[in-house]
Amino acid sequence: MGNAFFFTRLQYESGDWDVDQRMPSNLLNSLVEYTTLAVDTKENIIALSSDDIFNCPFCYLSGHKLVQFTKKEKENFKKYVTNGGFVFVDDCNHDIDGLFAKSFERQMDDIFGDVALKKIPNNHEIYTIFFEFEDGPPTTSQELNGWGDDLVHEYLKAIEINGRIGVLYSNKDYGCEWDYDFRNKRWYKIDNTRFGVNIVMYALTS
Amino acid sequence: MAIYTEEEARKIMEKALSFSTADACEINLQGSESGNIRYARNSVSTSGHRSNQTLVVQSNFGKKSGTATIDEFDDASLQRVVARAEELAKLSPDNSEFMEPLGPQVYDEAINYVEATANITPEYRANVANSSIEPAVASDVTAAGFLDDSAGFQAMLNSKGLFAYNKSTNLEFTVTMRTNDGTGSGWVTRDFNDVTKFDAAEASKVAISKSVMSREAKAIEPGKYTVILEPSAGLGLLSGLGRAIDARQADEGRSFMSKEGGTKMGDKIVDERVNLWSDPLNKEVPVATWNGEGQPLKKTEWIKNGVVQNLAYSRFWAEKKGVEPVPYPSNLILGGGDASLEDLIKSTKKGILVTRLWYIRSVDPQTLLYTGLTRDGTFYIENGAIKYPVKNFRFNESPIIMLNNLETLGKQVRVEGNLIPYMKIRDFTFTSLSDAV
Repeated sequence: MGNAFFFTRLQYESGDWDVDQRMPSNLLNSLVEYTTLAVDTKENIIALSSDDIFNCPFCYLSGHKLVQFTKKEKENFKKYVTNGGFVFVDDCNHDIDGLFAKSFERQMDDIFGDVALKKIPNNHEIYTIFFEFEDGPPTTSQELNGWGDDLVHEYLKAIEINGRIGVLYSNKDYGCEWDYDFRNKRWYKIDNTRFGVNIVMYALTS
Repeated sequence: MAIYTEEEARKIMEKALSFSTADACEINLQGSESGNIRYARNSVSTSGHRSNQTLVVQSNFGKKSGTATIDEFDDASLQRVVARAEELAKLSPDNSEFMEPLGPQVYDEAINYVEATANITPEYRANVANSSIEPAVASDVTAAGFLDDSAGFQAMLNSKGLFAYNKSTNLEFTVTMRTNDGTGSGWVTRDFNDVTKFDAAEASKVAISKSVMSREAKAIEPGKYTVILEPSAGLGLLSGLGRAIDARQADEGRSFMSKEGGTKMGDKIVDERVNLWSDPLNKEVPVATWNGEGQPLKKTEWIKNGVVQNLAYSRFWAEKKGVEPVPYPSNLILGGGDASLEDLIKSTKKGILVTRLWYIRSVDPQTLLYTGLTRDGTFYIENGAIKYPVKNFRFNESPIIMLNNLETLGKQVRVEGNLIPYMKIRDFTFTSLSDAV
């Protein structure tokens, strides 16, 4: 792995962690395209319960179903975040009333206390650190599709540790939005993965 | 009878041309005999026959041109219409893009006229309606359909010695079937030059079974799905690609075919299995072998192995760019494979069968992004079989991305004068649900 940035997906036992398989390649492709970051193009998949997590600067956790960590998963998650790690958690249901959202939020309350997970302001550094997103988190095509809660979530939530985001939490389903063959990106007028670059740059430089 | 033989047409046009005093003059003559039958609510509502003929004169003095039309062909009328065209030409400002009429051309022998189609009778049309309505009634379904058939000719003569003549026949049929409980809808379209290829009972049966199968559709979540697009649905998006092949728009930076510093000519833009061409002599979709400019139409490759081969150059733009004109296609043929619709369904683990797309609108011409809705039969496929009907979706998709996500090309089917295969496409983007049946 050397000094290159690598993308880590976290496996957890309770739900479907294995979603949006093409998203990582698409995001890594954007990093190559827009930044000078050295990038390992292979996705790294590890169990949240394994101590390998402590070698990973950036983790991604997603799914549609239940999030109920095992004792070891809970311990690792807490230690990893408290020690300065970064986890991007994305709700594949894009539904704040859905199973993933409700159970993940309960899990965070359980680990960090029930006021830790908070909305971040739309002028947060993460929205301007690389590309500019004036209105906060960019919308996705899933948000207005007449399904689920049919709302645009105009915010992201986060758990901050010493003024820095340790857990970035989205109900916007960016994973699905970016889950397509990266080679098709050239046919889009505006690359919808740009915000992903901001997330990674924030995780690495803040 | 509004259909003139080559000799009769030539005689009328030569007479008209003899009255011309302009720098150049182009005469177009066309005529057709067409019949139709329309039915709705399981009964015939209209049927009729139309007989039309028109002579169009375009005269020019330098770069000023004028056009006049008439449908009476006696000498005095011909003289009058030519005089009117010339009068209008003199009143017109210069058209900086005016092109002189072409000189004599050589055309291939066309194959787009079939006598059997020209001989369709009112009884035949009534039987078509009947073979739709009877089975619909028996299935507790309501039919609404339209059959329009025509035989006609077009001819062109100009003062530079060009003469062209073509006889053609065509038949178009569509029927929509709605279940009487209001929850199911099916549709089919058929079109041919040759009526003997048309089977109204078979077409109606397809639409009826789609309507019955699509009753009480379930809502499933929008998102990216593998789809099987029936040829009609595929054409809805492909025609957008067909319109994007204009060289001038590409050169002027206004189209999908534009790119930084030039055009996408020679670029690989889609999957290497994609071949798109036009051919006036294709047996399934024949058209006239010349176009409205009098240019000969030949087989032309537009995309070969995924690479852009040609852009269409109007005579004016070709002259400006110092290249040969490339006439616009009169039909589109997308190369296909051997797989039948059944084969495509069998080989699908999870996907959606789309009968038809409609209400298609451009979202972004430069990326060829379109939006529209599915309609008249949308079904969920699982483990190689149709499982249940699903509610209609709105899609946001580009034919370019679609042809990059190509899984399988199936058999070709004639649709609206084009030859389009069944297509299995990965990651087709459905963005929202529609409650419309």
